[in-house]
Amino acid sequence: MKILVTFKSVPDPYAGAGAAAKSVINPFDEIAIEEALRMRERGEATEVVGVTIGPAQVDEQIRSALAMGIDRALRIDDSRALDPYALARILYSLVTKEAPQVVLMGKQAVDDDSNQVGQMLAGLLGWPQATFVSKIEFLDDKKRARCGRETDSGIEVIAVKLPAVITADLRLNEPRYVSLPGLMKARKKPIETLTCEQLGVKVEPLTTILSISSPPRRPSGVRVTSVEELIAKLKEEAKVL
Amino acid sequence: MDFAWSDQQKELLAAVDRFVKEQLNYDMIENDRNAVFNHDAWKKCAGFGIQGLPVSEEYGGLGQDPLTTVAALERLGYGCKDNGLLFSINAHMWTAIIPLIFNGNEAQKKKFLPGLVDGSLIGGNAMSEPNSGSDAFALATTAVKKGAKYILNGSKIFVTNGPIADVLLVFAATDKSKGAQGISAFLVEKEFPGLDLSHKIEKMGIRTSPMGEVFFEDCEVPEENLLGKEGAGSWMFTRSMTWERGSILAAHVGTMQRLLETCIRYANERKQGGQSIGKFQQVATKIVEMKMRVERSRHALYHYGWAMNHRKAVYMEAALAKLEISDSWVKCCEDAIQIHGGYGYMVEYEIERELRDSLGSKLYSGTSEIQRNIVASLLGL
Repeated sequence: MKILVTFKSVPDPYAGAGAAAKSVINPFDEIAIEEALRMRERGEATEVVGVTIGPAQVDEQIRSALAMGIDRALRIDDSRALDPYALARILYSLVTKEAPQVVLMGKQAVDDDSNQVGQMLAGLLGWPQATFVSKIEFLDDKKRARCGRETDSGIEVIAVKLPAVITADLRLNEPRYVSLPGLMKARKKPIETLTCEQLGVKVEPLTTILSISSPPRRPSGVRVTSVEELIAKLKEEAKVL
Repeated sequence: MDFAWSDQQKELLAAVDRFVKEQLNYDMIENDRNAVFNHDAWKKCAGFGIQGLPVSEEYGGLGQDPLTTVAALERLGYGCKDNGLLFSINAHMWTAIIPLIFNGNEAQKKKFLPGLVDGSLIGGNAMSEPNSGSDAFALATTAVKKGAKYILNGSKIFVTNGPIADVLLVFAATDKSKGAQGISAFLVEKEFPGLDLSHKIEKMGIRTSPMGEVFFEDCEVPEENLLGKEGAGSWMFTRSMTWERGSILAAHVGTMQRLLETCIRYANERKQGGQSIGKFQQVATKIVEMKMRVERSRHALYHYGWAMNHRKAVYMEAALAKLEISDSWVKCCEDAIQIHGGYGYMVEYEIERELRDSLGSKLYSGTSEIQRNIVASLLGL
């Protein structure tokens, strides 16, 4: 069984404020990669192919994914700011070419939080989708997958026929760190570069980002000297009592 | 000299930085108090690739050069507070793995190196004896050839990793009349009859690194476990000692960097007399001295690594690095306690342990006095 796992390069969400924004693999995608690797280690998957869309700079994240253990990587060379539908269409053409049984993705990227590409890709492919997944088991000789979905009211368990698109939630697993032997092996693994033209897909973003602004900085607090003062401030200044 | 890292080195060092954020430091106070070796962290380090840094890929290692190896260890020390674990790893790498790489035959390398690299085997060496320390080659332990076996008799002291070792490199006299030229090295496996590894020794510091006394009573060692040729032991020991001396404290350049940062943070946070204590010149001066020591130590370490990459005779650089880093480490720990005042003396603050851990560095792998002797003799004195 072949698994296609997608990943996006995002600014490190754990970098301290003011630190130079280093790029990392989107944490949810890292979870998807980990799950694919575990499927291969359990003997359920035979090949794990990673794919990302971006300019040559994202090769660093591709090498991280290769060092984690994916078998090979594809980069669709495109430096435009593409929207979820455009990304889904590119992935659609790639999925038809690679023909995996499962497409594993992070539920969303932590930079734009759009949470749409997996759903749109499943729609374009006409495949079932299991989103926000925290547990995956294969059933019926890998003809179906049983997936636990994290919803506000609890875990919803569904079964999807394969091939399917599955998107990973936070609790699916804890990704491994890159080991030095993994890093050395990654240097010998191939990174294939493709263009939208080669894939025969023409996309233009339908959405344009007009502006991004950071939330206002929280003003520093004040120290109160008594409970009375605290209550007075909560009533008069914060107006929460 | 060029210490600018290549892209591949940067990538490797960044991976170490990420790895050390993993859990290597849990239960430190308890483990130190009870002298417990953290086997789980040992395996994590091996799985990550630390023990195999200088071992060629053929045997499961990473084939890194000495400079890259010590730089990676420096970063490990920055993140890992378990100095005992680091000491065990170092003993394993420099006194078991390195002699095997240089002197082992193909069968010996194939048998031991992959396990020593992946952490399933723990190695060490047994050289010092109750009456043979700095006078290293005056060994009382003997090895007598009988048929296809050597029979070892004697005892060894201060054997790092002894109580947990799977394989020890043991130095013994095969021909006492030849002095240093009559010493041979043997790969002694824990199952060999006549070997007793059960005697633990309790230490002041690096308590999480098990150390023991080792006894040989007609211990049978098959001849295929002789490392190198008969009589080559002292030469072998001197050669691997250069690696050991120069590299064994690499991690503690990272330790000092961490201590420096801890002290800067504390000096900024702690207020006395209405100002941060870092504003008091006497505190600031201590921190500046710490910074100078870290930089000198790092330079001495990289200079040694660079020299190892470029030529064979690095006795001077190795001895200087050992001296500089051990002196600096002890002094940094003293200053860190002084800056933290009474809190620094308390176990909970985890600084007093650093001082206890640091003191041994002036004793093991050749005392500071022996290092100075080496430097003096290389200077023609």
